Amino acid sequence: MRRTRLLMAAAALVLLGFLGFARPAAAQESKTKLSHPAEECIKEIEAANSIDVDCQKAPNPLLPQANEILWGVVGFGVVFGFLAWKGLPGIKAGMNARTERIQGDLDAAEAQRTEAGTVLAEYQAQLAEARTESARIIEEARQAADEVRSTLQAKAESDIAELRAKAAADIEAAKTQAVADLRGEVANLAIAAAEQVVGHSLDRDTNVALVESFIDSVGATS
Amino acid sequence: MLALEFPPLSHIVNWPGFAGDGTLWEINKVVLIYAFAVLFTILLFTLGNKKRLVPTGAQNLAEMAVEFVEDGIVMETMGKEGIKYTPYLLSLFFFIFFTNIFEVIPVIQMPASARIALPMFLALLSYVIYHGAGFKSHGFGYIKHALVPPGVPIALLVLVIPIEFISKFLVQPFSHTVRLFANLLAGHILLVTFAVLTSGLMVGKWYAIFSPLPLLGVIFFTAFEVLVSFLQAYVFTLLTGVYINAAQSHEH
Repeated sequence: MRRTRLLMAAAALVLLGFLGFARPAAAQESKTKLSHPAEECIKEIEAANSIDVDCQKAPNPLLPQANEILWGVVGFGVVFGFLAWKGLPGIKAGMNARTERIQGDLDAAEAQRTEAGTVLAEYQAQLAEARTESARIIEEARQAADEVRSTLQAKAESDIAELRAKAAADIEAAKTQAVADLRGEVANLAIAAAEQVVGHSLDRDTNVALVESFIDSVGATS
Repeated sequence: MLALEFPPLSHIVNWPGFAGDGTLWEINKVVLIYAFAVLFTILLFTLGNKKRLVPTGAQNLAEMAVEFVEDGIVMETMGKEGIKYTPYLLSLFFFIFFTNIFEVIPVIQMPASARIALPMFLALLSYVIYHGAGFKSHGFGYIKHALVPPGVPIALLVLVIPIEFISKFLVQPFSHTVRLFANLLAGHILLVTFAVLTSGLMVGKWYAIFSPLPLLGVIFFTAFEVLVSFLQAYVFTLLTGVYINAAQSHEH
């Protein structure tokens, strides 16, 4: 910043100095103090007693002036020296550093992109694996559930069958018991009825055997 | 009757010395323009040497200028082989451009290239450089390289060789000089003409109503001379690159 201000100040000073000195060629005539060549020219005119002397003629614009060549060489030499030594290398260094930095950033971004791709691929692989695993677990669970369901169903069916069998047996037993009870009751009623009819008591065991055989014969025909 | 006093040519391109009048060290307006060209180039490349990631201001301008010369002139004319000439061509471009542009800067209004000294010196320096590059590249075979174009029948060489010699060794530096010098001198005379005409019409007479016309001419040609200043710097530098490439090229 300080360097910039110094350079700007130097440029302003040179410009002010130049503007202070600058004047058009025509102003040469209004000078109060004549320059050495002008004085020489006046002397030449006076000596020749004529204004048609060499110093009065305008210089040929196609002929270079030695001082302009000299200062041109110096000026161009300074510009070339500065640009070759400091100016161009400085700017090029800045441009190259920027190019390298941008290239580095691009490379880093590319590496990060590749890394992100790898991570994504890994993640996707893990996701796929997890999906497969979950599907496997679900399938296993489903199979286990089916197995349990089949087992439970079989057991339930077995229990039901057992219960049915037991119930049927119970029913059968009850039925047998009921038939036996009924048979006994019927025999008693029949004997009692027969006693009422014949007027005396029959031998109980004989009657029972008689009734029983009757019932059996009835049961066999029904 | 309108009476215009047009200044003689010597009055619009010759300037009295500020110091060392009449000596080899004389400092006149043209020499001060050289000094400004040096100062502006140094300022531009010093202020532009910032190394910011996103260039702005002087850095942007300096980098654009370097890229313009390197990509637009060096690479276009010589390719990668010409990179070593970048400092020289960059110096040519900036020194010529800054000395030209003073043609339109108020108060100064004089291009240093309208004086033949600078174009002649730069053309001769370039002449030495491109022929030097030719001798460095081909040795003494450069003479044949420069004078004998390929495919020319032997019978025609009697004609072609003198023409090529005159063209490349005598006329080329002359045309290189005159192209820059004459363009800038013509532009300067044009601006002076319109300015004198405007000034001549701005009097208390009826024809003062026409004074805006040459004034418009001054404005238009001032803008045009900005373009000419840039273009002539570019053309001079580009031709130097073309000449160097033609001299050192092995393609025939």
